[in-house]
Amino acid sequence: MQPFADVPAELERYSRQIRFQNLGEDGQRNLVRSRVTICGCGALGTVLANHLVRAGVGFVRVVDRDFIETHNLQRQILFDETDVAENLPKAEAAARKLRAINSQVTIEPVVTDIDHTNILDLVGDADLILDGTDNFETRYLINDAAVKLGKPWVFGGVIGSEGQTMTILPGQTPCLRCVIETSPPPGMTPTCETAGVLGPAVAVVASFEAVEAIKILAGKHEAINRELLMVDLWDWSFRRLKIASLKGKVDCPCCGRREFEWLEGRMGSHTTALCGRNAVQVAVRRDQPLDFAELAGRLAPLGQVRHNQYMLRFATEGHEFTVFPDGRAIIKGTNDIAKARTLYAQFVGS
Amino acid sequence: MAKVSIPTPLRPSAGGQATVEAAGSTVGEVLADLTRQHPDLQKRLFAGEGQLHQYVNVFVNDEDIRFMDDLDTPVKETDEVGIIPAIAGG
Repeated sequence: MQPFADVPAELERYSRQIRFQNLGEDGQRNLVRSRVTICGCGALGTVLANHLVRAGVGFVRVVDRDFIETHNLQRQILFDETDVAENLPKAEAAARKLRAINSQVTIEPVVTDIDHTNILDLVGDADLILDGTDNFETRYLINDAAVKLGKPWVFGGVIGSEGQTMTILPGQTPCLRCVIETSPPPGMTPTCETAGVLGPAVAVVASFEAVEAIKILAGKHEAINRELLMVDLWDWSFRRLKIASLKGKVDCPCCGRREFEWLEGRMGSHTTALCGRNAVQVAVRRDQPLDFAELAGRLAPLGQVRHNQYMLRFATEGHEFTVFPDGRAIIKGTNDIAKARTLYAQFVGS
Repeated sequence: MAKVSIPTPLRPSAGGQATVEAAGSTVGEVLADLTRQHPDLQKRLFAGEGQLHQYVNVFVNDEDIRFMDDLDTPVKETDEVGIIPAIAGG
């Protein structure tokens, strides 16, 4: 096929979206120069990363704490069975796929748990933050960081066949805490395990997020939607809730009083039960990376152990540990945080 | 009577229904009638007497009641009262 005469050669691969008048060549040039951090690379995050890398966003940092399991493949579009067999962390596996999709984009995978000690480093140089997480603890942390730094971010959440999304432009729109003051306590809301989730529902919500991201990064701010979108793919319900008037109306601790409780570590735990996984993450930060060979030698008499450069897996007495070099561990076989802490202390050590 | 839309997580407490007709001239009255019909919803919606949980957002025709008169916001027969959940997954 002949290249479009009106599209410069270096942008030829983006010709079809440049032809979309609302974006245009100026918008594409802005995309190529822009930087984004995607927090979480599960169902939402893989769809977000796929869209933005194909669209030519110049720099994409993908941050995720987790590794790939077979039950992820139903909806996490960048992963396949080979990644499961190789025990790859999600961020690393995503980076391999994304580089193959578009070598013009710089991809930076980061395998870590986002918390108040590292979030400013992870988002400080980005033009935009995208929510690919599965929990409100991290979202309130992102919200604090975004409002403090004055960076836009896009929130998205999905369960079952329904989802919600909104775009936060600090100083201009209500922030997440203006709209959702607190998240429901555990037990009051369905989890991935009880309610399940449909892949297409995640893809739709992430696609709404991605289009808002493209508008923001391309400099098309007048086109950004400022409502809370609620969508249910099962019954085709679609609601646009007006939230713009909440800005300044509610006494928001974050964007109103500028009290960043999550960013300052006053809110949020470091050990968390993982949604629908019968698993607990224990985060024990270490100054030095763990020595997997040493740990594997110590654990070998106690159960099955194997490791690669990214993780060590250890199974014993109905529990499976996945340990990361930074000291963090995901312990399967329990939802009990205290029990998980005990197991960590018993087998990994504090 | 106003129509109250029930989010998926709360439907088991509302006899499985997606919408419930409830009587009242304010949001507070409509929700009181709703919880009379479905008592299990009381503790899912309210933290105490006349006080919604912070994580329960209520809209009348797509406007947040916090921007209007909260539970005193007037409701007409043709209005839809929406209970909007916070969706955590992803």
